Parts: sequence; C-alpha cells; structure tokens
Amino acid sequence: MTLLAAASDLLAREGLYLDERRWDDWLALYCEDCTFWAPSWLDEEVQSNDPERQISLFYFSSRAGLEDRVWRIRSGQAPSLVPIPRTTHLIANPVLDDCATGDAMVVRSAWTCHIYTLRNRTQHVFFGRYEHHLVRLGGDWRIQHKKITLMNDFVPAMLDVFCV
Amino acid sequence: MRFRDAAHYVRDDPDRGVFRVHRDLFSDEALFELELQHIFEGGWVYVCAEFQVARPNDFYCTKVGRRSVIVSRDEGGKLHCFYNTCRHRGATICHVERGNKKYHVCDYHGWTYDSSGRNFDIKDRKEGAYPDSFDDCDHDLIPVAKFEGYAGLLFVSLKADVASLEDYLGDARTFIDLAMKQGPDGMEFVPGRTNYTFNGNWKLQIDNGMDAYHLTSTHRSFVNTINRREAGQSSNQQANSQNIPSRFALESGMFNFENGHAVIWSDQPDLEKLPLFGAIDEVRARVGKIRAKWMLRGCNLTIFPNLQIADSTSLILRTILPLAVDRTEMTMYSMAPVGEALELRTRRIRQHEDFFNITGMATPDDTVIYEDCQNGLSVGADDWLQCFERGMTALKPGADAHARELGLSPVASMSGRYAVQNEVCYHSAYREWVRRLSGIAA
Repeated sequence: MTLLAAASDLLAREGLYLDERRWDDWLALYCEDCTFWAPSWLDEEVQSNDPERQISLFYFSSRAGLEDRVWRIRSGQAPSLVPIPRTTHLIANPVLDDCATGDAMVVRSAWTCHIYTLRNRTQHVFFGRYEHHLVRLGGDWRIQHKKITLMNDFVPAMLDVFCV
Repeated sequence: MRFRDAAHYVRDDPDRGVFRVHRDLFSDEALFELELQHIFEGGWVYVCAEFQVARPNDFYCTKVGRRSVIVSRDEGGKLHCFYNTCRHRGATICHVERGNKKYHVCDYHGWTYDSSGRNFDIKDRKEGAYPDSFDDCDHDLIPVAKFEGYAGLLFVSLKADVASLEDYLGDARTFIDLAMKQGPDGMEFVPGRTNYTFNGNWKLQIDNGMDAYHLTSTHRSFVNTINRREAGQSSNQQANSQNIPSRFALESGMFNFENGHAVIWSDQPDLEKLPLFGAIDEVRARVGKIRAKWMLRGCNLTIFPNLQIADSTSLILRTILPLAVDRTEMTMYSMAPVGEALELRTRRIRQHEDFFNITGMATPDDTVIYEDCQNGLSVGADDWLQCFERGMTALKPGADAHARELGLSPVASMSGRYAVQNEVCYHSAYREWVRRLSGIAA
C-alpha cells in the first residue's frame, strides 16, 4: 500500500468507527500520548493556536481525555447523548505533506459530519478540515496528533467528539 | 394572551409561601414581543466588557434585543455606542464581531464615519446638488439612549427614561466586583469564546444559570466522570475539576436583589483546585480576608436580563440573546485575571473546556434539556410551574449574616447546606418581569 493509500484507509476507518459507534476500535487508532485538538475561532479569520493560553473546542493532551468522553457516551447518563445522535462522516481529498516517510506522515483532508438528533428530529451538518499526524507503531499506523478545524462554529445545542 | 395583564402570569404571595409562574411565560409569542420591547429594548442590557475595546478605534458589534449596535472607542479613548446602521439608506456598516477601525465605511454608497460615530465623509457631496435642508441634518451614527459602565462591564439602554446603571444594578454590584476584581491588573477574556443556540425560551437559561438542583441529575455524567478521575479509574488529570456532590454538606445560600438580579453561592470543597487559589495571598492582601473568602466561593450571578457570571468550575461570563420565543443565542467566555501564571491559566482553560464549553461535558446537557422543557411547555396546558418553592422555609426577608458580612441589603436571603439546592433564587427575575410588563396592553 502506498503511504497515501494507508493514510486514506485510516481516515476512512476513523469515520466508520465513529459512525458505527465502535468506540474501542476508534480509541485504538490513537497513540496513548496523542493530542486531539479542535481550535476555536478568535475572529472571522483567525483560529486559536495555543491550547495553553486559549480556549479550544476540544483539547486532550492524551488518549485519557478521549476515554473520558467515550465513558460518558456509553454511560447513558448524559441527556444530550441519549438517544445518541446518528452520524455519517464523509472524509475526502487527502493530501500528504512532503515530509512523509515509512514511519511518520502528516495528512490533510476535508470532512463533513451529518448529524441526526433523534431527541427533536433535527439534522445538522458540521464541516471542516482535518490534519492527522500519523506514526507507524508495530506495523500499524496510529494517530499521534489530530487537529480539527470546524468551519461552522455556531453550534446548535450540542457538539461532541463524534460530531466532528 | 391568556390573561389581560402580565401581572396575572405570576402568583407571588410570600406570606402564604406561594410562588408560581404560568407556563405561557415560556411559549406565548405575544408575551415574547412584550419582553423584547419592554425588557431587552426598554431597559439596561449588558453589551460587552471594556477590555474588549481597550485600544483607540477598537470596536465590538453586538445586539440589544433585535437591534444591532456598535461599541467603539474613539481616537481620544472615549467610548461610544451607536446603532449599526448608515444614516443614508440604513445598511449595516459593520459585519464582523470586533476589530480596530479608525473609519467605518458603508459598503453601499461609501458614507464614512469615524470611530466616535461622527460622519466624516459623504461621498461626492460637493457635486451632489444637495439642498440646505440636507446640510442642516445630523449625519452622524445614531447613538443609543443610554450607555454606562460598571467595574469594566458596559451596558446600554435603548430607552432614555431609566434609572442610572448603578441604581439598576444595586447591591448585585458587589458580586460583579467579586468577579471583576480577582486580578491585581484587572480581568480579561481568555481568547476563544464559544457561540451556540438552543431551541428554547431565554428564561430557561436565566433560571438554569443559578440552578443547583439539576447538577446531580442533568450533569450526572460529569459528576461521575469526576468521581472516576478521583478513584483512579480515569487517568485524565488535565482539568482537575471540582467534585460537585462534595459541596452538599457545605454552606451555601442565595440573595434576591432588586430589579431582577440574584446570586447563589456556596463554599467549594477543593480550594486548591481553583485557579484563583494559586494567587490567593496577593488577593487577600489587596481585597481583604472577607472578600477573598467570597472570591473563592462558588457564585452564580444573574444580572437581569442577559448577563450571567458563574464562578464554579472556572469563571465564566455568558450573554443571553433572545431570537424567538423558542430560540436563544448564547455567547460564553472564560474570564481570568490579567497576568495570571501560565500553569494556573492552563488549568483554568482545561476546567472551562471540561464543563462549560458547548463541546464540554455539562453545557450540551443543559441546552438539550432546555429544548425538552420548551417542547413540554409548548403543549399549552393551563398550568403553573412548581419550580420556585425549594428553599422557601429557609428564606428570610432582607439581609442574613452573610449579606451583612458584605454590607448588602438584599430583598431576601437564604442560607443553609448546599443540599437544599434552593429554587427561590428565581423569584427576582419573575418579579422584575412583572414590574416591567404589568399594566401594558398587549
């Protein structure tokens, strides 16, 4: 498999696991010391660039942050997640950075996430761009760092990790 | 409208221990129109913080009720607030939330205004064959009727005939001070606000912003996430947020103030988790022991009708903008002392993201519940809500010992263990609602 094909496969699998709620498979795509980051918009054109000094939509400095969210999703204790909204991720246009090697690569892509909220029968589309930093661990590609740019950050009522 | 007068929608009889609000308050479009006219566009409304327009020519664009306004600092440093509309054909002249501009130029015919709102140029005026009567007109941007500030927070009234801002805020000013004076060099918003909507009435947010009773049910998943972290079942320690049920045995209370304002307060279980605790020696030396103690307490303040400052899992300021009887827009900021140590600042940010962010583990459960409430309240039942009487027998008119400690004269005080989770803190807002709307023909 070419590097681009490997990257595309991982991106597609991430979308699949989220949409099929295969949370353990989803978490397993991430390194334990990964970072998961969705910057906020500081104004019409500029995104936040420093999670230590600026509010992010999401910032987890390890997989444990994602594990907390998965626990919450599975708990059945969060009104916004019961019943859990249905999602479909479409991930497209992957482009590798020039520095890609057999051990590490950066892939940029475009995404949309269609969300159907069963609680009030409304639907919404979030969309934006991904930047995945991938590393090869024991033959498998894993996500070391994921940056999510959310273009439409005017949020109707809820937005969880599986909606972007 | 079901009743002739707004006063009939609230049954307020403290002697009999009765406080009831009719469900229509949240779903009647005629009442909502009255609220826009007489509350949001007829009295004091928070617009922005002074530090958001700190430099000459800084501007901030927002809405007061349905009306778009611009807050602008002129070249000499003076603050102005005017309607966001060109004097020529009425186009809005500002299309971004904030920025820095010496001149605002209308996109349509190029009329230009300076940062004080003064008309600087009417394009091609000399060739325009204008009559004298045109030259006699005031061409400047239209100022709002009233524009005043308190402790760095700026407020507007679109109606001129109102009390001074200080009188309107009354004793609630003390709790604004407790938030706005935490830093030796002032306060600031942490960059990166969030902006969201919910399909529900704006008063659902007013009440929920002071609702201690919902925490262990609506936010059960957050409570148990903290429990898991404390039990070592989660290794996510980046936020180190407060444990909510630990508050239940602690001291708490509330004050109802005049003009719709109210605050709930409680001691906090784990002071060392609070970002402010890391700088408490400086705070004590500056504001004294008593105010420093209050700054470490959890305080959720409502300034009627559109501002809430909550100091619990980090300090936030949020604004409430009604869009329709069943739709509301929120803007949420994390607020922090200027010059805060990086380690404390980062923890503050992680706590904000953990709980308050619309992407966090608490706020989305609130907004979704507001939508549930709106759906339920829209069934049209002729009925009175039962959410105003928790804490009633602990309610005392005037000041209690806690109020006296701060030199306050509230309308009513309540104190006791946090487990009371009082709902009498909502009375102020509905009394003010009646005061503003009663006697007005629909």
